[in-house]
Amino acid sequence: MSNDIHFLAEFADGAPARSALELAAGAADLAQQSGGAAVALAYGHGAADGAAGLGAAGAARAIVLGDGTAPAITHAAAAAATVREAAPAAVLAPATPNGRDLAAALVGLLDLPAFGPVRAVRVEGGALRTEQATLQGTFITVSEPVDGAPQPAVVLVLANTFTPIEGGSGSAEVSRAAATDAGALGKATVVESHPADAAVVNLEEATVIVAGGRGVGSEEGFKPLQELADALGGAVGASRAAADAGWIPYQLQIGQTGKVVKPALYLAAGISGAIQHRVGMQSSENVVAINKDPDAPIGEFADLFVVGDLVQIVPRLTEEIKRRKG
Amino acid sequence: MKIVVCIKQVPATTAEKRYTDDLRLDRTSAESVINPLDEYAVEMALKLAESGAVDSVAYLSMGPDSAAEALRRALAMGGDEAYLVTDPALAGADEWATARVLAAALDKLAPDVALMGMASDDARGSLVPGAVAAMRDLPLLSYGAELMLADGAARIRRLSASGFDIIEAPLPVVASVTDQVGEPRYASLKGIMAARRKPLETWSLADIGVDPGSLHGGAVTRMLEAKPPEAKAPTERVENVGADEAVAKIADWLAARKLI
Repeated sequence: MSNDIHFLAEFADGAPARSALELAAGAADLAQQSGGAAVALAYGHGAADGAAGLGAAGAARAIVLGDGTAPAITHAAAAAATVREAAPAAVLAPATPNGRDLAAALVGLLDLPAFGPVRAVRVEGGALRTEQATLQGTFITVSEPVDGAPQPAVVLVLANTFTPIEGGSGSAEVSRAAATDAGALGKATVVESHPADAAVVNLEEATVIVAGGRGVGSEEGFKPLQELADALGGAVGASRAAADAGWIPYQLQIGQTGKVVKPALYLAAGISGAIQHRVGMQSSENVVAINKDPDAPIGEFADLFVVGDLVQIVPRLTEEIKRRKG
Repeated sequence: MKIVVCIKQVPATTAEKRYTDDLRLDRTSAESVINPLDEYAVEMALKLAESGAVDSVAYLSMGPDSAAEALRRALAMGGDEAYLVTDPALAGADEWATARVLAAALDKLAPDVALMGMASDDARGSLVPGAVAAMRDLPLLSYGAELMLADGAARIRRLSASGFDIIEAPLPVVASVTDQVGEPRYASLKGIMAARRKPLETWSLADIGVDPGSLHGGAVTRMLEAKPPEAKAPTERVENVGADEAVAKIADWLAARKLI
């Protein structure tokens, strides 16, 4: 058993995902508390060449589980063998579909305790403590592994829980995971890939989000929201109603079954604020809502609630922001 | 071709929820329902049965005796039979213990596809499908917007960074589906009547060959504290003003917080 903190570092299109940089910073911080080192478990397209670069993000070492575009879950056996051998104090995983798949496989293959998705994690007197929002955000709970629980703990971490280290230097010491039989989990293969014509923003990375809901009314109705987002230096998101209506890709859906976001500013236009939407954005630092309905639930938890017509307000707000920014 | 859909009984989404003094979810205080995201898995299984790709649909749940109600409700939507694993040793089970129990029950049922929802309303770790796949040494096809079965293999359509991928694995598999599979059907009155006559079997841990002593008391995690979130400042409301005034207020508000 070591005091090291492992983290899953996903690569895509030749570069580390934002989640890898956030978890590198988080693992480095936790490793300081535990008296160990931050170690990346790197996988995905670009992992072999890019793993050393995680040193600047906070990793002391990086172990490459595998490169290429195979589904993340196919690296599960390599991850489990690595974790079993190294016996770290904790494994951090991003609370994304791929991160959850790999985390779940570690839990199943090694019988490990699982936590999260957490909004904070720390080591207190040698013990791991996690903090998460539960019951649709009505409670904050603090948890730990039971005495005698198998180690390490697997911790799912929400996007934007940790801030990537800027201007870091140094490179991580890279090794390759020992060859393992990928087992049944290795049998999933991508047989067709259908990327969209245009790239879609990763909302988890946006510091400003302008989100539209049913009240936006149409695909066309999202254009003024995009213009407002552009003026604010942010991205457009949507409620499930807008994604289901086909006005916007599902990748931009925010909520229980979409992305969980935590921007500095969340501006919701025409979104009523159903609980399923709320759980995807309730950690935003500042929430502004514009809605025609004075009784919309979002009026109960927004910081600023404007009762009015988004069609009238949004374009004028864009102009005003451009004017003030000069 | 046989599908077993795993469902969880949870407090209704809109119900007021609380923890008991020993920090377990108080399941007596609120109306209970099938986890809403599991209903999409039920819908997907029933669609596959209607298309002829699947011969039988069974349901599996782990929970207290009252979870039989959730299984009856699923049977009212369609499907053939249901199994409830219930045991005093499972109160307060965490994701690891839940996965262990479901994996053992699924080993006994041996379906071609064990199908689950993408998350549960009351936990949201979404780890059970992957942990069950790992424990049973089967492929995992997770977060499917659609599940397809043909030629001894299962396929899912899954969102990628910008579009979607089709991911395939040989049967048997563990799979999970999202709320994009289509709205779950309502149980008809006829369905509700028919569900009363469908077989619902109750299993203890012994029935599925799990030694309660191997479950670490039902959990390898422990909750230390449950507290309300930090109090927020009350909402500032702007109403009964024209668009220009509303815009000026929003811009001032953003500027005061250095957001523009």
